[in-house]
Amino acid sequence: MLKLFEREQLDLATLSPEQTAMDVRDLNLRYGQKHVLHNITMRVPKHRITAFIGQSGCGKSSLLSCFNRMNDLIDNSKTEGQIIIDGRDINGKKENLSLLRSQVGMVFQRPNPFPMSVYDNVCYGLRLQGVKQRRQLDDAVEQALIEAALWDEVKDRLFDSATTLSGGQQQRLVIARALALKPSILLLDEPTSALDPLTTLIIEELMAELKKRCTIIIVTHNMQQAARVSDYTAFLHQGALVEYSDSDTLFTMPDKKQTEDYITGRYG
Amino acid sequence: MGKWSIDRVLSNRQQQSYVVNIGAFCAALLIVALVCILSLIALRGLDYFWPQPVQSITFTSPTGQSQQVYAQVGERHINSAQQNATTDVLFQYSDKHYPYGRQVLIESQFMGQITTAPEAANILLNDGTRVFSQPIDIRLPGEETTSLANFQDVRATVADIRQLIESLREAKLAPIHRDLAQLDLRQVERDAPARLRLYESFERWQQEAVRFETQLTDYQLHTRFSDGSEFFIPIDSIARLSYPGQLDTLGKLKLVWSGIGDFLTQAPKQANTAGGVFPALFGTVLMIFVMTILVTPFGVLAAVYLNEYAPNNHYTSVIRICVSNMAGVPSIVYGVFGLGFFVYQVGGNIDKLFFSDALPAPTMGTPGVFWASLTMAILTLPVVIVATEEGLKRVPEGLRAGSYALGATKLETIWHTVLPMASPGIMTGVILAIARAAGEVAPLMMVGAVKFAPNLPFDGEFPYLHLDRQFMHLGVLIYDGAFHSQTDVRSASLMFASCLLLLFVVFVLNVLTVILRRRLRKRYLRGY
Repeated sequence: MLKLFEREQLDLATLSPEQTAMDVRDLNLRYGQKHVLHNITMRVPKHRITAFIGQSGCGKSSLLSCFNRMNDLIDNSKTEGQIIIDGRDINGKKENLSLLRSQVGMVFQRPNPFPMSVYDNVCYGLRLQGVKQRRQLDDAVEQALIEAALWDEVKDRLFDSATTLSGGQQQRLVIARALALKPSILLLDEPTSALDPLTTLIIEELMAELKKRCTIIIVTHNMQQAARVSDYTAFLHQGALVEYSDSDTLFTMPDKKQTEDYITGRYG
Repeated sequence: MGKWSIDRVLSNRQQQSYVVNIGAFCAALLIVALVCILSLIALRGLDYFWPQPVQSITFTSPTGQSQQVYAQVGERHINSAQQNATTDVLFQYSDKHYPYGRQVLIESQFMGQITTAPEAANILLNDGTRVFSQPIDIRLPGEETTSLANFQDVRATVADIRQLIESLREAKLAPIHRDLAQLDLRQVERDAPARLRLYESFERWQQEAVRFETQLTDYQLHTRFSDGSEFFIPIDSIARLSYPGQLDTLGKLKLVWSGIGDFLTQAPKQANTAGGVFPALFGTVLMIFVMTILVTPFGVLAAVYLNEYAPNNHYTSVIRICVSNMAGVPSIVYGVFGLGFFVYQVGGNIDKLFFSDALPAPTMGTPGVFWASLTMAILTLPVVIVATEEGLKRVPEGLRAGSYALGATKLETIWHTVLPMASPGIMTGVILAIARAAGEVAPLMMVGAVKFAPNLPFDGEFPYLHLDRQFMHLGVLIYDGAFHSQTDVRSASLMFASCLLLLFVVFVLNVLTVILRRRLRKRYLRGY
């Protein structure tokens, strides 16, 4: 509980451009006829952990996928509005998706290591960018694995298949894989829902450590988790942003009735 | 529940036991059938190599003469077409009129006594014919004789002389031929001194070779037939001499072993009724390899397009249905297509464009091993496409998303993540394709497989691999053998031996691909 008071609060309403990692303006998302996200406008502060909570199907994962344009892979998805990262709108036509996705890393619900060695998994993104020098790759792998708190466990088996690791190790490997590209933003889509409580704790501690290096946005079903790890929380309901404030306020004195109902478990 | 519902007759437990029993029965039947087929082919095939005894028999020929000969007696056929059923005996014998063997089918009542003849030898000649007679001694040049004990030494001497002749041909005569051809090319006068000098030296070496050849014919094996008449066989022409009547089991096994060796390494003789099957074995394996090299990239690319790129609409499903239906098209249709399109159209046009100075003799516009492989590739394409698509579908969506999330493009994702994981599926397709292609005969006969090909598609001459040549194929050899089998004592077994070999080839190729698939599975699919 002491941790609560250590948080350095920023006022979301008056966030300066230097403090903003991402500025979302009037974002609408449609899958065919289905209107998934309605006029989302929000600013995500830099070097903080922001959590998205809400019912299943409320659009929080879809919103997350907008931030590195993974929605482009879905047929007839249509995005309107702006998402500004580093002063440019990533929904622009000229956006380099490879570059964007290396800048905005993403980790999924189920650990998805590639069927290759631990080393090759971490190198995957770098090799795509054309890095070939062995020494450079070695350094990047070591650093990424240290950052993901996995180095001590796998340093002797770097060339074993990644699928032989345990679930929690696999998830940290996937995080390391994203970190190797030095992203400024890390998107975590329910990263612990397939893991046991102890492993969840390891990942949560890791997130607290990682926010020094990058901005983290996490989608979670677990409200305790959101309250524990996040600095700011956004509550989404049926594709609309209902409430967005610092986590302490949202979980203790929610502004809206819907938010209160959700966090007290009256529905959802 | 109706009146005749099964539940009224049988309890649940009984139903289950019936289903299990019937299922087990069907599975057992299948295994028995498989074992029967395999053991029949294996027994009949190995029978070809097992030394059969040479017997001394007497028989009465239709002209009324009684004759004693050395012979190998084959099958007995019950002849039930006539009113009172008789037994026919098929045998092959040698005598002074037919020293190189003659097949006779006579009714058993004309057969006299049959006795074993351990003294008689089965003499296999280089051209594949066999002589049954009793060796007496060996004739050497200068009317000398030596005993049979020296047979191996004499053979070694003969082999040395033979080699001498060959090297003479190779080292002396062939260069002169080449030089003469050069002169022809430069259009040198017919009576130019260079030409005359070459003629002269050619004459000299030719005489030398002929002298050695005549010397060779002086080494002869002196043998005697059952009726006492004598027969001389040039030792140079003997491939193998054995006494089947004197052999113990170990000796017979040795003979079987060397027989299998000859079978695998030698060319067919006597119009595919004797000798080995090496060209057919080589042709089959080469055709399958070239086909695999052609079909795998095509099939994989098509499957990748269908599964990863093609929009999910009616056109794509029509294409999918077409692909599946292609697998059901009779293979002879592919043969006709290969002949009409690849050989005549494509090959003909290649000839017009690149080999026009050789026309009207076709270079590519004639059936050959490349066109056969291409036809087989088309025939097995649907199998590879379907199996690869299955493999692609099994790649978890999460892995693709993970790859995209690291900045990979679609192509990079397919190349680095999807294809490696689908590789066991691709291997399954290749296994099925090999099995299908190895068994085809009809389309191959239209696009390049022949009963007898004078040259292998591979030799020491540039470009070493001649994919435009016609080739021999085990399936075609078996098909051809089926027509001899009615009349020949041993060629039926040759057909079975070829069958056994074909099965073995398919088995080995499949085992290789299965091992590869297992390794790929272990590497890419462990943990999924």
